[in-house]
Amino acid sequence: MKISRRDLLVWSAGAAAGLIVTPVPWKLLDDTSIWSQNWPWIPQPVRGPIEVKQTSCTLCPKGCGMKVKMAAGWPVGVAGLGSHPISRGALCPLGFGVHQLNWHPQRLRFVRHGSQISSWNDAGAAFAKACNEGPVVVIEGYPGRAASSVLETFSQKQNGSYRVVLGSETRALEAYEAWSGVPTSSLAYDLESAKTIVSFGAPLLDGWGTPGQFTRLWAERAAGKTNPQLRLIQLEATLSRTAARAWQWTSIPVGSESGLAAGVARVLLEERLVAAHGPMPSLTLAEAAAQTGLSTEVLRDLARTIASQTPAVAIASDDNPAVAALNVVLGSVGARGGIVRRSKRTQHYISADAELPSARALLVDASVPWDFVPKTNAEVFRFAAWDGGSSKADWLLPSPGFLEETNDIPSTPTSAIETYAVSPALTKAPHEVQSAAQFLCSLDPTFTTAEKIIHSRCEELFRARIGALQAQERTPVAKFDSAQKIDEQLSKGAIWTGGPGIPGFKCVLKEWPSVNPSDSENSSTIWPAPVLPPLATKLYRESSLREASEMRNA
Amino acid sequence: MKARYGMVIDLDRCTGCGSCMMACAAENNVPSLPQASARTGLTPMLVRRVSNGGEGTARREVFIPIMCMHCEHDTPCVKVCPQQAVEVDKATGIVMQMPQRCLGCRYCMTACPYHARYFNWWDPSWPTGMEKSLNPGVAVRMRGVVEKCNLCHARLHSAQAKAAAAGRREIDSADYVPACVESCPTAAIRFGNLADQNDPAAQEARSPEAFRLLARIGTEPKVYYKSKEAWVRALAESNSGPPSVIERAEAHNG
Repeated sequence: MKISRRDLLVWSAGAAAGLIVTPVPWKLLDDTSIWSQNWPWIPQPVRGPIEVKQTSCTLCPKGCGMKVKMAAGWPVGVAGLGSHPISRGALCPLGFGVHQLNWHPQRLRFVRHGSQISSWNDAGAAFAKACNEGPVVVIEGYPGRAASSVLETFSQKQNGSYRVVLGSETRALEAYEAWSGVPTSSLAYDLESAKTIVSFGAPLLDGWGTPGQFTRLWAERAAGKTNPQLRLIQLEATLSRTAARAWQWTSIPVGSESGLAAGVARVLLEERLVAAHGPMPSLTLAEAAAQTGLSTEVLRDLARTIASQTPAVAIASDDNPAVAALNVVLGSVGARGGIVRRSKRTQHYISADAELPSARALLVDASVPWDFVPKTNAEVFRFAAWDGGSSKADWLLPSPGFLEETNDIPSTPTSAIETYAVSPALTKAPHEVQSAAQFLCSLDPTFTTAEKIIHSRCEELFRARIGALQAQERTPVAKFDSAQKIDEQLSKGAIWTGGPGIPGFKCVLKEWPSVNPSDSENSSTIWPAPVLPPLATKLYRESSLREASEMRNA
Repeated sequence: MKARYGMVIDLDRCTGCGSCMMACAAENNVPSLPQASARTGLTPMLVRRVSNGGEGTARREVFIPIMCMHCEHDTPCVKVCPQQAVEVDKATGIVMQMPQRCLGCRYCMTACPYHARYFNWWDPSWPTGMEKSLNPGVAVRMRGVVEKCNLCHARLHSAQAKAAAAGRREIDSADYVPACVESCPTAAIRFGNLADQNDPAAQEARSPEAFRLLARIGTEPKVYYKSKEAWVRALAESNSGPPSVIERAEAHNG
């Protein structure tokens, strides 16, 4: 039988049609979808024993309590630690991806000298030479740590200078130091006792202070309530996240915060809404209204609203003496629900924003935010875990990343409660890293290491017998029978807490600070790393949650 | 007793911080691919920002976390899937997505009225070494499949394993908390068994301030929202009136 071309085509079409009604193509499709899951290039999570460690975040000075899930020795997940007395189980959004940072493509893996890869030996030799030739200035971002003590001791030994880059929340407290004599580092907000909080552009619900501290308080006492126990009044140009959720939002032009504070203070004093605690501002109400774009009646209403539910405290987004003076008028300085003294420590820090003394070299710790570029001609040795580019540092030295070194966390900047926590090294760095304190100790073995200082601080806590260790339960320090046990508990994630803030210090304001209408508020939350966790970069890119201007580090 | 897991999100408490998005993505090993965009990326939990349309100080804004609503009735994605890759788990009420069965036809994405499903356009990848930071409890999904929120099903498995090890048949509710619920700094998301009338989440779902998105289409979502603001509650339905929250949010997102 002769098979024609037509027969072949008919047979082929019939076979194709018949095949469709058999399970074969569908089974093949199904199997292909299953096989294609298992290509060798698809990454697989690590396997190994899983344990959950409690610790505190060290990436910024706020020190939120964390539960870190570890698999085969690597951190694979992060959650908030509910027993932490300040952060109370909350973290900033970036905190949930912080365990990815150690693997970030911009992780600094080698010592860099200019644009060349160098070695720790060369860096050590260059630094030792610089130390022999002249003074060295040390700059850091989280004062009060054990590592800070090493840095400060070194700068004293070198006849150098020790400078600190403070966060905007701490800078907002600087004005009170001049009027009360209490060091900025000892001042804090007693938010738990406040009933009205007047925010002059401070991002209270968007990363200000320890994120959990205020957001938890706001959620319990204010969120969704028509007549809340805690009134949040937001005075800000735009409808920010905080303004969107505030009890009252008043829009004012950028830079008019000082004028508004003076106008409100004038009404408070003129109408005797508060006991007179300070001088009358020189700015008239009409001038304040002109600066802020609000009517004098709106200013009067605002002042009456603030005075109607006290204690009230005003919070600036950065250093703003007029807002600080408003707190003096409100009687909120040295009072419950206002500005209190966290501890009796008298440590005074010199800001790195002030003019730096001439020096042979400058050592910049990894805790200094990447944005900070020192104005100096000295040779700069900068420690960093991530390379943000354009550092203008002569030497870029890789330092430990997330949970790669033992660190301690002193009280968080805005909290009235004194705390102390230890964050042990839970994982290893994938390459050779050294913190600035380790580097200095390796150059001069006579220095006491940060680990030894942490232990001696535990001994001090044990001897003082003050406060308690907060883990799942609260145990008074007096019940511990050795400093070693305190050290062990702190290393397992317990947090030492002292007493509440101390009110009752005097603050004397002789004349109203000058009001400059061009004062510009700069409310940036400290994120010292030049990079964000890759997940944060992705989510900010793929959602409209953050504006492009907020993604400068992404 | 069969459970109906769901959640109630108090929008008056949501500050739009994005912690839930981050925690969800980290928990579920969502890759951060640089080539992904708002249209092509995976965001099983997506916080959207919507306004009342007012100007100046009359403007009000609210943040609405949107994820799979775990529809109870006539679940649209289940009905259209040719592969039975989506099913409503009868024991938990969770709408489950099985990537092993998914062919990537994306009918379910078209059918989902909440736009809560995402397609894997690329093989998952991470910067060198970052695979060590992946959650070992959740498998990495492959290219060519659809995925969505599964109420952190891996955490449910862990809770069940823990209960079984203790000789219990029922899980302890404290052992099963999805990542977004755990991460919320204002406790705006309440999770629980809606079938249990005594569960706080079930009680909140019955509050007069509670509402569901597009309730009129009758899919009975198990994700409820709550707000005291009437204009926020009005966003839930589009009908012939103002655009719905999904349409507004997408217009806002461009």
